[in-house]
This record gives sequence, C-alpha cells and structure tokens, in this order.
Amino acid sequence: MSEALCFPSVEWLNAVREVFNTTDSYRGAGGGQCDCTVGLKVDDEVFIVEFEGFGCSSVQTGTDFELGNVDFYIEMPMSQWQDMLENISGNGHAIGEYTLNTIDLGSEEGIAHSKHGDQYRQDLFVRYNQTLQFFFDASHRVDTTFENS
Amino acid sequence: MTTPAADENLPELDLSWMNRRGPWDTHAKPGKYGLTLADIQVGEYGETPQQSQNLTGRSRGSPPRRAAMRIGGYTVRTKSDIWVENASFLYEEALQRQWSSATDVPWETIKPLPDDVEQAQCQLATFLTEVEFVAGDVPARWISVTTPDYFEARQVLLAQVMDESRHMDVFRKRALANGGGLMKATGATAGFVGGIDLSRDFTEMSSRLHISGEGAVLTIFRMGELMAYNDAEKAIYRLCAQDEARHVAFGVMHLRYMSQKAPERREEIDTYLDEAEGGMLTDAANPAGRLTQTSESLCILLGGGRDKFDEGFRKIVAIRRRQLQEYKKRVISAGFGERFENGRSRLNELMAQTAA
Repeated sequence: MSEALCFPSVEWLNAVREVFNTTDSYRGAGGGQCDCTVGLKVDDEVFIVEFEGFGCSSVQTGTDFELGNVDFYIEMPMSQWQDMLENISGNGHAIGEYTLNTIDLGSEEGIAHSKHGDQYRQDLFVRYNQTLQFFFDASHRVDTTFENS
Repeated sequence: MTTPAADENLPELDLSWMNRRGPWDTHAKPGKYGLTLADIQVGEYGETPQQSQNLTGRSRGSPPRRAAMRIGGYTVRTKSDIWVENASFLYEEALQRQWSSATDVPWETIKPLPDDVEQAQCQLATFLTEVEFVAGDVPARWISVTTPDYFEARQVLLAQVMDESRHMDVFRKRALANGGGLMKATGATAGFVGGIDLSRDFTEMSSRLHISGEGAVLTIFRMGELMAYNDAEKAIYRLCAQDEARHVAFGVMHLRYMSQKAPERREEIDTYLDEAEGGMLTDAANPAGRLTQTSESLCILLGGGRDKFDEGFRKIVAIRRRQLQEYKKRVISAGFGERFENGRSRLNELMAQTAA
C-alpha cells in the first residue's frame, strides 16, 4: 500500500498528476486539450500547475509574486481545500456544493482570481473547468493526509 | 494481356495534372497535441492573405484554375474582418473538448422536484433552447460567405454551430426529462438577439453575439451550478459554460485583432458596443434582465422555490453585477477599455444601479 501524502505539497500534486495523466476517461466527457498555467494558493503556500496538451506537465512550488504570471489562480483557506478533497475522496468525484465552479460561485469574490486582470485569461478557469475538476477528482486515488490534521 | 495492335490505337495518357501542384516536399510533423492545423502552417500553406481574391472555393495553397466558376460569392475577403490569431488552436480545442448530452450527463440523478421549481427549470430550458437556435443559425450564415483562404476562422465557427446544436438538444432534453415539458416561448429571439441576425458585417455580428450575448449567457451557465438541483443539471451547465467560454474567447480575440490591424474601424465598433450595453440589463435577451419570465424563473431556482423568491432575487442581482463586471473586463481585454474612462460607456452607471 502506498504511503499517505500530505496536502498541500509537490509530492501530493505529483501523485495526483500521475493519476490524472494516466486515466483515459479524463480526456473525454468535456475534458481534453487544455493549455493553461494555474496557481494554487493554500493559505500562504503557493503552487504552480502547468497543463499542456492532454495532461498536466508540471507542478512546482511558487511565490505570491509568481501568481502574477499564471493565467488564474485558485485561492482557498486550508479548511476549504480539505472539505473539497474529502468530498472527492468519499465520492470518487466532487458532488453537490464541492465542485470547483460551485465553490467559486459561493462567495462574492469567487476563488478564481488573476493579478493581471485580463478576463480572457481568467475565463480559462471556465473554459477548462471540467479538466480542472477531473484533475482534483483524480485525488480520490491518492491516499491523503492534511497538514493541519 | 493486351495486344500490340490495340495499344497503338489508344491516345497517349495525359498526366499533366501531376505537374499542377502547390508547394511540394512538405513534411508536417505532429506535436504534443497530435497533427493539428497549427502544425500544417508550413511555408506558403501557412500564409494568409490580407485580401483574398479567392472566389472559387480553391483550398489555400492549391494552384488556381482558370476555368473555375465563381461558386462562392464570398463577401468576407479582408483578413481583419474575421481573423483571430489563435483560430487553429480554438478549433482543435473545440474538437477535443466535445461532449455528449446523451452519455456525459448523469441523467439518472434527476429526481422529481417541487412543481414551482420544475416549472422554473423548464422555463429557463425553454429560453435557452430558443437562444441557442439563434447562436447556431447566425454564425452559420457567415461561414458560407467567408473566403476559404480564412478557413481556420470558418472552422471555429463550424465547431461553434456544433456546440450550439448540442446546447439546444441538452436543454430540450432537460425540459422533457423530469415530468415537465417546454413552457411558453419567451420571445427572446426578438429584440436584441433577433437583431444579431441583422448584422451586415462580421465584426458587428461578433461583438453582438460573442461579446455581449454569449458573454451574458456564459455568466448564466456558470451560475447554473447554483440553481442546479442535481448532478445532471450541474454537469449540463458546467459543460455548456466551457463551450460558451470558447465562443466568447473567439469574440475577444477577434476584436483585439481588429483593433490592432484596422484601427480605423474602432469608432464603428464602439457603436456596436454602445448598442449592446444599452440592452444589457433590460432586454429579454438577457435571462437575468429585468421583468421577464426568465428572470422570475431564475429567482425561483436560485432562491429554492416560489416562497423564497426574494432570496433568489438577491442572488440574481449578484449575477447581474458579475455579468457587467466580466463584460467590462472582456472589452478591456479586447482593447476597447478607454470607453469606460472617457465617458462613452454607460456601463459604470449601470453597475452602480445594480449595486444600489
């Protein structure tokens, strides 16, 4: 049995990336070609995730400054990330109020932001939403622990 | 087996067509997305003329034929009139990200809903079916009048027609899937939406359809997850929003290209945007607009029933605000941001009214 990986970390994101890239069903059903650079902000920690072609090509740690270069970034407090990932883990995919889009709509300012203010690039959150959802849905196959638990 | 006598009577084989060809020895190579349209932009095949004299349906890069008839009668033959820099990419993306309304929506998750909620859902589905008809018909008209030299843009529009066709069918399916049916037609295809089809110029059409019309519907699709009562409806709205975002991207990129390559048309384009903004809140084209059966159905869906109409109304105000904010940022992204600074646009005023 594989060792549990801690969220958030590059190791955890790489494990999710591996599942995402090797699961054919994530390429159809509204998924597929996707080109964007996404920032993830978990409290004060920043990660940069790159999607190219049909897969996730890289994950790395980043800085707040580097969020200015991504197409958009998803920002949530640790507790909200944990709630979302636990929902995914329990159901095999996000359901109900835990899909990325629904979470984004749940607050006035949303969770998808950009520092550059270019709506064309920020719209990529919507344009590739199913791919992003599939990426996080892939985490149900990664044994996950949480930093604060 | 042939006889020598018979061969002597045959005319010599004419293979002169073999010498009539475009640039040869091309070796387009597939990249990480497969062999895409971008990968075959090789040499002369990748050169798009600023003005096209092609009236015959000749494929770009193929040698002309003097005897060809003018089969096309193409009116769109100026590159800046229709071009977007990433047309090839948008087209490939559209093909790769297709989905099926029959099998990619978990229809089994739909369960009986209270009557008022089902009626509201069916009213919204009726409205969306109506407007998606327009969103398919209008770009389709422009495909056939665009020179084949700009085939990349034509193909993006062809893919859009396919997307809109799926949107039509998925909302019709939703209306008929849960004990309800279609409601009275909203008339949304008159007024501003109907006016899109009166556009005499592609950019006029695109600014109306892609930027203001589909931009507003995109916000509704996004918000659809808030008024979805099961995972099937959530999937429908999420997947439609993806497609719609691609269409909006075409419009933004086209306006950006136009603004850079044909600055003499900027004033004219501002006029189209003036018109779009005028109808943005009030026209029946906008399902979150005021005093329409669609905005009332949205209030019921967002609130959670007829008795929670006011709660739904508060949410619809948030939708209107978001529509306007996103529209404004897209117009800025397209290169027309100064209209919000120089007093030409009334959008800031509308946003203030919405916030009040």
